[in-house]
Amino acid sequence: MKKKWWIPYAFLALPLTMYLIWVIIPIFQTVIISFTDWDSVSPSYNFIGLENYKMLFYDYYFLTSLLNNIKWMVGFVIVAIPIGLGIAMLMDQKFKGNKFFKTMMYLPMTLSFVVIGEIWTWILEPNHGVINEFLRGIGLGNLAKPWLSDPNLVTYALIFAALWRQISYAMVLFLAGLQSVPTEQVEAAYVDGANSWQRFWYVILPALRPAMVIAITVNIIDSLRAFDIVFVITRGGPFYSSSVMANYMYIESFNNYNMGYGASIAVIQFFITLGFIIWYLINSFKKEDNL
Amino acid sequence: MKRGLLVLLVVILAFSAFAKTKIVINSNASDPAPREAFKHVVDMFQEKYPDYEVVVNTFPHEDFKTLLRTWLNSKEAPDVVTWFAGERMRYFAEKGLLLPLDDIFSDKPFEAYFPASFKSASEYDGKIYFLPFTWYWWSVYYNTEVFKKYSLTPPVTWSQFLHVCEVLKENGVTPITIGTKYLWPTGGWFDYLDMRVNGYKFHMDLTAGKIPYTDARVKKVFEYWKQLVDNGYFLANHSSYTWQDAASFLFRGEAGMYLMGQFIKDVAPAEVKDKLDFFRFPIIDGNVGVYEETPIDGFMVPAKAKNPEGAKVFIKFLASKEVQDMYSKELGRLAANKYVTPPDAHAQKGLDLVLASDGVAQFYDRDTDPEMATFGMNKFVEFMTFPQRLDILLKQMEFQRRKIFK
Repeated sequence: MKKKWWIPYAFLALPLTMYLIWVIIPIFQTVIISFTDWDSVSPSYNFIGLENYKMLFYDYYFLTSLLNNIKWMVGFVIVAIPIGLGIAMLMDQKFKGNKFFKTMMYLPMTLSFVVIGEIWTWILEPNHGVINEFLRGIGLGNLAKPWLSDPNLVTYALIFAALWRQISYAMVLFLAGLQSVPTEQVEAAYVDGANSWQRFWYVILPALRPAMVIAITVNIIDSLRAFDIVFVITRGGPFYSSSVMANYMYIESFNNYNMGYGASIAVIQFFITLGFIIWYLINSFKKEDNL
Repeated sequence: MKRGLLVLLVVILAFSAFAKTKIVINSNASDPAPREAFKHVVDMFQEKYPDYEVVVNTFPHEDFKTLLRTWLNSKEAPDVVTWFAGERMRYFAEKGLLLPLDDIFSDKPFEAYFPASFKSASEYDGKIYFLPFTWYWWSVYYNTEVFKKYSLTPPVTWSQFLHVCEVLKENGVTPITIGTKYLWPTGGWFDYLDMRVNGYKFHMDLTAGKIPYTDARVKKVFEYWKQLVDNGYFLANHSSYTWQDAASFLFRGEAGMYLMGQFIKDVAPAEVKDKLDFFRFPIIDGNVGVYEETPIDGFMVPAKAKNPEGAKVFIKFLASKEVQDMYSKELGRLAANKYVTPPDAHAQKGLDLVLASDGVAQFYDRDTDPEMATFGMNKFVEFMTFPQRLDILLKQMEFQRRKIFK
């Protein structure tokens, strides 16, 4: 039977249309709205040029949110990746109960950040929360802190809660990456007398490069997208101290009726994210060139 | 072929008939008690008007606030929505997103249903856009068992109030509980202190953006507030808690008092309900009139409602004495309809409190611009955490006021 050329296109037509309507077009609409003072309710609006963008640089809360996003990024990259890699290396060994532990480590991945947020609201609760109760229980009561009320601690508490899931995500990526590490090379290194650290550093890690690039990119993008867990646990509070860009955009657009201003935050966030995606693409093309 | 057409015709007819009689209501009554009570209202309506099919979509309060404007702008607007009287309603009326309800009052005027004082909170530009349904008073709720244990009596003056706080604190009970995660409980404190210190007129002018936040009279308000903060009378780490979380401290007797609206009873466990009582917010300056917060909740019809006729039938039904009587009895709130008597002794006491006052306000976030409200209430939480920042916070609020009320 002759293959009909249009069949793949027919399958793609619906998802592509939806993607266009709900993702691509809104991106351009957002850019347009970011040049206006639209309040999301009025039928009319004024074009005010770059006014919204100018205001952002004087907006203390936007800058706080941006700084918090950077904290998230650092946390996701320098904490989640090494720990995720370490756990992946452990789980890659053959030992009894290996499947069970792998599943346990993978479990947080299956939860949405909303559920995680609800769980951690209780864990971090200052009075009867698990963490503070535990600290008091082992005689370290002075380390028990108002995790969600102290403006200097709250962002770290949120990142910590998010890392719970992010680490398991990194682990999954590295476990997949470890499958592609050629066993012959590792064995050859072993025969050549390389110790386990040398085998890891000179043989396994370079082979994990593609997985590493993916893990770093995904974690950076996830840190920029951080929203749900902040929204559920603190709503950006107390007084915006734990706010991230997405959260501040939401408050400005939907609570404060500043849709134009909110859109300009979204555009900034979009371009930062785009920068990292381009960085990722360049990296992955480079790799293909080397082949 | 003919049969196919016939089926099609029947389907079209069925759909048009369906569309004609369906009334879609989006409601924010998400706590179990009001949700149940509103279901009874709808059942009553269905019984009386079997031609209509009422569909109720219930959303959590905070989500409802953000979703409402999307619905009002949407082609698929619901027919009836719950909302708040005052500025909150006016904001949408001003933008032409609401349907005037004046023809509902064509046979009997608004005043024949509701107290005359409700009219200004329900109208914009001479037209009625809001149907008052229930209202409630704010006051200082307290746990009677805790008060009894330490032989305390409800304070009347500010110094008596401070004394009660001190006794509770000495006995290891948090004097005042508050949950500021969603900010608005702080608005109650600001409103009451301002009305007790500066009176109603000043407060209304301030929320309308006519008075600078750096005015010495505003600072004086915070100085009273500061006495409570500095003495550690408020629940520690209040920004970790929602208003419901904070209420549980009062219910368990770990805290003594809570400045809150009557709806606090909606979330109180059955065995605690009778242990809750309230007293008027203490008097600070005897020369200033006594004003209370009495937010009015009710209903509006979006301008883009698909079934405005049905919506108005429903709205008119909601205005009636029988419906408001039933609803207020079930929740212990006060009915907007002036012929409904208070449902119980508790509500009677609340009504007396309001009737004995010199005037009423809605609430900070219902009396001022939404953006100012978010900003201001964030600053209130910041003040309650870092009272030493007061001067700079007032400057920031003033900067924001000038930006918003151009």
